[in-house]
Amino acid sequence: MHRLDRRSTLGLGLAAATALARPARSQAAGLRVVWMGWPEGQVKPLMDSFRAAHPSIALQVETIPFVQIFQTLEVRLQARTSDPDIFICDSPLTASYAVRGHLLDLTPHLRAERFAKAALDAASWQGKLYSAPFGSSMQVLFYNKALLRAAGIAPPEPDPARRWTWEQLVDAAARLTDPAKGQWGFSFEQQERPYQLLPLGQSLGGVALSPDGLRATGFIDGPAFVEAYTFMQRLYTERKVSPPGLFDPNLPVEQFGNGRIAFLLAGTFNATVLADKYKAIELGVAPHPYFAAGKPVTPTGAWHIGVNPRTRQKEAALAFIDHFMSDELQIQWFKLRPYPPVLRAVWEKEAKAFDTDMWRIARHELDHTAVPRPATPGFREYEDVLRVALRDITTGADVKATLGAAAQKIDRELQKYR
Amino acid sequence: MGAGFRVPLRVPAAFLAPALLLLAVFRLTPIGIAAGGSLTGTRLTGETVFVGLANFEALAADPSFWRSVEVTLLFNLVVNPLQIVCALGLALLVLRPTRFVPLFRAAFLTPMTVSIALTAVLWAILLEPTSGPVNGLLRALGLPPQPFFRSEHQALPALVAVASWKGVGYWMIFLLAGLLTIPRELYEAAALDGAGPLQRFWRITLPLMRRPLAFVLVADTAANFLLFAPVYVITHGGPNGATSLLMFEAYQAAFAYLDHGRSLALSTVILLILGLIAAAELRLFRERR
Repeated sequence: MHRLDRRSTLGLGLAAATALARPARSQAAGLRVVWMGWPEGQVKPLMDSFRAAHPSIALQVETIPFVQIFQTLEVRLQARTSDPDIFICDSPLTASYAVRGHLLDLTPHLRAERFAKAALDAASWQGKLYSAPFGSSMQVLFYNKALLRAAGIAPPEPDPARRWTWEQLVDAAARLTDPAKGQWGFSFEQQERPYQLLPLGQSLGGVALSPDGLRATGFIDGPAFVEAYTFMQRLYTERKVSPPGLFDPNLPVEQFGNGRIAFLLAGTFNATVLADKYKAIELGVAPHPYFAAGKPVTPTGAWHIGVNPRTRQKEAALAFIDHFMSDELQIQWFKLRPYPPVLRAVWEKEAKAFDTDMWRIARHELDHTAVPRPATPGFREYEDVLRVALRDITTGADVKATLGAAAQKIDRELQKYR
Repeated sequence: MGAGFRVPLRVPAAFLAPALLLLAVFRLTPIGIAAGGSLTGTRLTGETVFVGLANFEALAADPSFWRSVEVTLLFNLVVNPLQIVCALGLALLVLRPTRFVPLFRAAFLTPMTVSIALTAVLWAILLEPTSGPVNGLLRALGLPPQPFFRSEHQALPALVAVASWKGVGYWMIFLLAGLLTIPRELYEAAALDGAGPLQRFWRITLPLMRRPLAFVLVADTAANFLLFAPVYVITHGGPNGATSLLMFEAYQAAFAYLDHGRSLALSTVILLILGLIAAAELRLFRERR
């Protein structure tokens, strides 16, 4: 048996240290892409298409689940390195990233005339295009035809002029709720997200943030939002027609797909998932409900693509943008995950695909009722504070006090942008 | 003891050097950076500027900060004594190597092998109010289901329970090791003198466990002050601020509100509170001569 003397121990230690200190040679310089954690079948084909077109550019794609994507990006971008080169960018965060120097100005690179106006607005900050539009969004009211039939409820019509009021929807939902069977009448897809829930207050005439985008007090805690969120709270606490606490948006969709939720207010992009994964369900589609005392308002905006200005591979990164902004790729994307397209050409070339109730509704809403999230460089903070407040409201917190406290907190955080 | 056995200072110094070096690099330096950083603010474009005590002044004027301090102190006031009493109880139970005891020892240790993030996910599922198994069990027993993390009043107790599920087995090992060093003869002599089990515990076990208990209490307090994952994964500080531990607030400040100065000021406050409490705890357990 060998005994380890002092010299050989030292030698071993040094060898180990040298081995650890040497950079791994296999790390090929590729474009580092941080992407949304959509199902693999909705990500890989697009990346493969880029790889096929640019075999010389290596791609390192990292997909992050929706509930973690914003924090992850924040950590990575705040390090202010060249990593990631490309990242998926929620459209209302464009200003936030641009102000802090996390987005390359793409104005000279994108041909603005190819895009829908709403998408360009969402991609712009101080007159420049900072993010490349990759999809818009629209919410529709999905319902389970079989459940409605069994309860003897006449389904809502697809005609936006005859859309249901919230009151109508909740009455129907109450008749479809059966705790003994674990069946619920209605759920939002995103139970805590301002994206989905701002339109409630906006439907009653509320304005989500001051016009300069820097003050929440007197806006998000105003009477319209207090009334709207009191109504929302009662869905969980008094009427008990909605399953509480399903904050991960996949969960309500899954429960709807399994026939446990009768009405689901959710994005059009769920249509393929529902059709592919939950074939048993008889899917009906109707427009977003509104308050009888107010007007119809729907949410919009979605995913854009951003380029890190610190990238050391600008050419490759721009090639990525070019490829992802092509008609062909965006048609492929639309078919994989049906977000309302942002390219005018896709609406024209795929006209046949849009000849359905869902798309007629979505187009009507995009033209008439869609309100984007407030434009502010502090959207990250705004959304996060409001999200926690909405979560608390669903669990029974005092609505007025909670919104008031959230507004103050938002104002505190928005001060740095003044 | 120790007289007549002298080694030059450089020998222990050489043995301690690697550990001290790592401590300096990975603990003390970040603490120094955080303390310095708490006096700075970050411009939107990333440059750092000196702001003096402004971050601390802002905290002092912020009701949500004081709510967090209150929640953190309350949490620690409950969780630390609870964990130590439970850990000591378990250690006493598995002290005697009778049949099945190794099995129990292993069972109590299992939660230690589960990462804290996974623990949080696991308990979020178990305690899910509508479809979670715990409420299923309560229903089966004819008891009303509970809201757990979704109630302002139950969220913090539930957090205490989850942290303890994970922590108690771990601290048990240290206390078990301590118990095993107590000479059996002391108990035998006491028993001969007519001391009952309770008396033996108070007069022999506890006094001789002073040092392991002091270590476990301080280390446990530090671990619980820095608890973050379950809040992040399950409650996000809610409902209504009921679980807004300072550590989570520090995270929020840095990564949700993009305010590094505030975040570092919060970390510094945590460090100060923790330092004071650890000093008090050590004093409490100091051996009286």
